[in-house]
Amino acid sequence: MSLSMYPALNGGQFRLFNDRQVNAIHEGVVRLLEDVGLKVKSKRAYEIFEKSGALTDPAAETVRIPRTLLEKAIRTAPSRVTIHGREEKDDVVLEKNRVHFGTGGTVMYALDFETGERRLTHTQDVRDLARLVDGLENIAFYVIHTYPADVAEKDVDVNRFYWAITNTTKPIMGGMYTLEGLREAIKVSEMVAGGADKLRERPFVSFITLMVSPLVMDWHYTDFLIEVAAKGLPLAVPSEPLAGATSPVTLASTITLNLAESLAGLTLAQLVRPGTPTLIGTTSSIMDMKTGTYVAGAIESSLINAGIAQMAQYYGLPLYATGGQSDAKLNDAQAGYESAAQAMVLGLSGANWVHDAAGLLECCTTVSYEKTVIDNEILGNVLRVLRGVEVTDDTLAIDVIKAQGPGGNFLAHPHTAEHFRSEFFLPQVSDRWNRITWKQSGSLDAHARAHQLAEKVLKTHRAVPVEPKLREEIRRLFPGITGEDLG
Amino acid sequence: MGNYFSELGENVISAKQERVRELTQRALADGVDPVEIINSGLIPGMNVVGARFKAGDMFVPEVLMSARAMNAGMELVKPLLVGKEVPSQGKVVLGTVKGDLHDIGKNLVSMMLESAGYTVINLGVDVSAAKFLQAVKENKPDILGMSALLTTTMLGMKDVIELLKEEGLRDQVKVVIGGAPISQEFAREIGADGFAPDAGSATELCHQLVAR
Repeated sequence: MSLSMYPALNGGQFRLFNDRQVNAIHEGVVRLLEDVGLKVKSKRAYEIFEKSGALTDPAAETVRIPRTLLEKAIRTAPSRVTIHGREEKDDVVLEKNRVHFGTGGTVMYALDFETGERRLTHTQDVRDLARLVDGLENIAFYVIHTYPADVAEKDVDVNRFYWAITNTTKPIMGGMYTLEGLREAIKVSEMVAGGADKLRERPFVSFITLMVSPLVMDWHYTDFLIEVAAKGLPLAVPSEPLAGATSPVTLASTITLNLAESLAGLTLAQLVRPGTPTLIGTTSSIMDMKTGTYVAGAIESSLINAGIAQMAQYYGLPLYATGGQSDAKLNDAQAGYESAAQAMVLGLSGANWVHDAAGLLECCTTVSYEKTVIDNEILGNVLRVLRGVEVTDDTLAIDVIKAQGPGGNFLAHPHTAEHFRSEFFLPQVSDRWNRITWKQSGSLDAHARAHQLAEKVLKTHRAVPVEPKLREEIRRLFPGITGEDLG
Repeated sequence: MGNYFSELGENVISAKQERVRELTQRALADGVDPVEIINSGLIPGMNVVGARFKAGDMFVPEVLMSARAMNAGMELVKPLLVGKEVPSQGKVVLGTVKGDLHDIGKNLVSMMLESAGYTVINLGVDVSAAKFLQAVKENKPDILGMSALLTTTMLGMKDVIELLKEEGLRDQVKVVIGGAPISQEFAREIGADGFAPDAGSATELCHQLVAR
């Protein structure tokens, strides 16, 4: 993994809507928030909205958000959010059409790295997947995507964040399960940062809450939202309408509903603490009309995401988006083509923080180490496309052609050595040898080659560590943290 | 003096042609043995390049640039070796067989062999059996390499081998072949000594044959 990480790249080449359509969607959002509103089950949230001039109906528990309140929230929310890494080199800046890809979930199962069998996920997976992500150059961040089944529910949050923080310096984001667990996770993060103010200055952890489609603010997640916003830590407020089930089947409507819900979350976050770094978001997809279930690898999910990305750019708000998934059960052709098609659409749409883009199989229920490595390669291809084709005197290379002349070759020209690493994506999983050499190396398929690469990273790669003394102190304070620290 | 050698090696690896030239000049001015400059400085550097290429950490154009840097040093040293033998891995005559105009694969093999320390006589494309024979007689190479990209021209390789036999030269030269349609089976069938599926392994194949 000696190749360096790609710099932040701009997408946005893929535009779904013209100005008239953008306006129609925006007016739809305003109408949903003004005329229909949301059912707000969190008492704290309800009161905050009420005090701020939203139209409340106590009997129906609904809150209607007037246009002015929405517009004010969009104004106070930062249009540029930096999600920090524990090391500055890993900082990720989200704005406009800048694109970064990372993991996401949360799943309960893993394909075991040794046996390949599907099994429950453990704290060790949180640790090892963090290390793998840290060592893969096209994955920019670690959204904690496994639920450790080997610890009690009250200890899940602190375990997830502890094992993530101590095994990668890339930005960490995660969902929460209990309010006490959330507070413990924040406490651990503050200890590693060197204090609450230090963490607020360079927050390397951020949190995901969610809206429930259609148009519900759950009490549980909404209280999390208020807690995180009050701390001034970055927050993603996605919603997940399923076209044809929890939103109308038409994608335009699903996009509009998703935006209304997520913008309601953003409005609440801005009311709690104006200026809270907030990502509007989508994890939307469709309900499959054959099986009647949620599917993750549908191409329509990417269309919804692309539409929302364009709208986020219109609002000037950073976006938490979803793509690069597959519903395949193993690393077969379906796993490859679904993930690749989604990731390419998301990249070209200019979505900022594209999560779920590495390692997921089976309708977002199962993680695979090998798939993580394969997705790293898919993302490398996507990032190469986003980087485009540079046109300068040096890249046009007319003088080089002139020097070599008709019938010459360019292989041994210094221009080739100088540029091939930036002009060509250099794959690590793809096999490009001829059949003879491929056979000699064991006739391995992509899954098997990815297994070897994952093994190499897991054996050799260590993230910049958190001081052992500090780790000991944290573990003394939170005895619920389970598992073995690596050197 | 040891410093010269390791610095020379490092600059061959990083393909700093000018720096290699400079260091070679300074080493020579300091009275360092020219043969030692090659054997302890330039070649060890190139060996590291070869290992990194094999491991997939360096790529073809970088190997060629390192070879160019090594040659910048060689050019200064060679004239001082009068009467001494210039260290070489061996001599190779290369060509694309008659009726075949494919050049780049064979040239890549040529460049990779040179960068690994071989002396290469590149006969070009559309080389007749008679021309191969003449080159073998004149140059007395350790290895004769033939390339073909077309299934229709690859049989020309057999003609060359037969001609070498008729002339009683077959035992004096190892014959290696390569190109997209070529296989180990074909090499055995026509009585070649070896086959390499790509430019990198062509170098290794030559190492093995020369060592025998």
